[in-house]
Amino acid sequence: MNVPVDENASLAGTRRWSVGLGFLAAIALVWGFWMIFFYAPTEREMGIVQRIFYVHVPSALVAYLAFGIVALCSLGYLWLRDERLDAISVCAAELGVIFATIVLVTGPLWGKIAWGAWWVWDARTSFTLLLWFIYVGYFVLRQATEDPERGKRFAAVLGIVGAVDIPLIHMSVQWFRTQHPKPVVLKPEGPTAAPEMVQTLLVNMLALTLLFFSLLLARYVVERLSRRIDAARVAAQLRPAA
Amino acid sequence: MSHPAEGAGAAVEARGLEKWYGALPAVRGVDLSIAPGTFLTIFGPNGAGKSTLLRMLCGAVRPTRGSVFIGGEEIRNTEDEGWRRRIGLLSHQAFLYPGLSAAENLDFFARLYGLADRAARIEAGLRDVGLWERRDDRVRTFSRGMQQRLALARTLLHDPEVVFLDEPYTGLDPHASAMLRQVLDRLKDGRRTVVLVTHNLSQGLEQADRVAVQVGGRWMSDEPAGDIDPATWERVYTGRVAAAA
Amino acid sequence: MAAYLAQAWAVARKDLLLEARSRERFVAMATFAVLVAVVFSFALDPGVRASTIAGAMLWVTVLFAGTLGLGRAFALEREADALTGVLVSPIPRGAFYLGKLAANLAIVTCVELVIFPVYALFFGLRYAGALGGLAIVVVLATIGFMALGTLFAAMAAHSRLGETLIPILLLPLLIPVVIFAASATQRLLVGRPFSEIESSVRMLLAFDLIFLFVCTAAFGAVMEE
Repeated sequence: MNVPVDENASLAGTRRWSVGLGFLAAIALVWGFWMIFFYAPTEREMGIVQRIFYVHVPSALVAYLAFGIVALCSLGYLWLRDERLDAISVCAAELGVIFATIVLVTGPLWGKIAWGAWWVWDARTSFTLLLWFIYVGYFVLRQATEDPERGKRFAAVLGIVGAVDIPLIHMSVQWFRTQHPKPVVLKPEGPTAAPEMVQTLLVNMLALTLLFFSLLLARYVVERLSRRIDAARVAAQLRPAA
Repeated sequence: MSHPAEGAGAAVEARGLEKWYGALPAVRGVDLSIAPGTFLTIFGPNGAGKSTLLRMLCGAVRPTRGSVFIGGEEIRNTEDEGWRRRIGLLSHQAFLYPGLSAAENLDFFARLYGLADRAARIEAGLRDVGLWERRDDRVRTFSRGMQQRLALARTLLHDPEVVFLDEPYTGLDPHASAMLRQVLDRLKDGRRTVVLVTHNLSQGLEQADRVAVQVGGRWMSDEPAGDIDPATWERVYTGRVAAAA
Repeated sequence: MAAYLAQAWAVARKDLLLEARSRERFVAMATFAVLVAVVFSFALDPGVRASTIAGAMLWVTVLFAGTLGLGRAFALEREADALTGVLVSPIPRGAFYLGKLAANLAIVTCVELVIFPVYALFFGLRYAGALGGLAIVVVLATIGFMALGTLFAAMAAHSRLGETLIPILLLPLLIPVVIFAASATQRLLVGRPFSEIESSVRMLLAFDLIFLFVCTAAFGAVMEE
């Protein structure tokens, strides 16, 4: 019924992985940013501002990846009630909100030049904004219960319901309005952009994915340690009373 | 009072039962086995985790660790709810809808239990607790004692084999208490198993076959009621609670 | 299955009986909805032709009024902790959910039967040509709304924030319902044929079926103590 968790298991291995991935991410980021500014050619129609797209698109993909992890771990948590799955969900949701925020900030910076308006209700912008709200709700819900276990359960239900709703939201906003530039790199018939642009995008995608996993593991270690500290503090308070 | 062999064919059994609210323990490892027909009283001070224990036994609270068996059937949160028909829970909260009449409340619960002879059972239940004349009045208009009697009728509506009582005397005046005690006395028919949880030493000792004390989420003692001398019980109990602290 | 539906019906019947007696949710929701219509008519510039934005106004009103009522849906279960009595009874959690959902649906439908005529009166809308289509859109959209709404109302009832939690969680998830219902309603109101909104109706139906299934399955995890 319940998976026993060794609460004192060492997290050193996870931490080493986080640091290792962090180093790789740092190298890839330096390389990727160098490519953005010195390697990729300036896009003819949109000009220099198009370069923000090398951060914008990978951030969006990483945010979607994060919300996918939240959904899977939420399902796993409701099934197995393993604290570790809940901890991964929280950490992934936090990073998902952060990367979605990057998407929502970089988008208007570009849109102001390309579309002439800071905010346009096109399909993908609206979609990302709605995702952002759903996962902010995830944190509001976690904080809103007296019993932390119940907060975890409720958040897991929202993680699943949200994930099921995402394709429907996607379809509906797509149907509602589409102004977003069509994918030019990841088209099924092969990329049409300059090869330097494609290379720059792929390197940055790799860099942000590495960064995401490094941060996820680091945040996971912190989350587990802070739960242990909470448990130890409660135990210390109980001892003189009991 | 004869005790059938412990373990074999126990009415209620718990193994390694624990409940944690976050990092706070409410129940810390309780093992128990209650033979059919036993009246078990669990005493304990406030915050001893008695209510949590009782609610885990009747499937209203999911244990953090450990398992519970009702009549040999393990309690799980699945759709197979056969064991739920064999238990009843009476608390200090009435578990009733104040906006419905007495009869409507019982009718609702009878439907949840899928009882076939609803009308007859409701009438018998209401007569049993002396509320037949008030059957069409809203529960909101009832006194605390009447609400508790109706709650008792709700608990016994489906004739459960095991009855769980969670501080049922709280807030009752002496008259209502006496009435409740009479009905509970009738529950002691040697067939039905009763588990009573209370912090009040003046209630539940004379009816009990077996008496346990829980402090700080742990089972401190568990003995046949015959071994207890009512005259010294309060001193013994206080000593045990103090020793545990 | 028959027993499952009988238990769900017992819950719905009980909720409707209580609502029929107090009428607290219906009166609050209907009054609020009519007030929203009044506010709209004062907030809109007289130059705006209300019939061109009626679909949006109607669904914003339904959504806000419905959310208001959801906050009370589990209050009556908590008054004398009747919820615990229900949870120790052998009712499957899914049946409990469907019963609560059915009662919420019935009450919100009654409110919609007030909202639509009031909007027709205030803004000169004509439903005559499209009653059948409108009924289909309203029923499907309301089912989707209440399917998610009932689930989140149950969570809100167990939280410290209470009813304020419901719109925060619910509105982003309901955007598909809003988009399809408002656009379909708008098209019907300007006299377009039903064939033009068929795809919207199909999407609403898909939304309903998906969330009826997901929420029925997930309700157990919400109700557990």
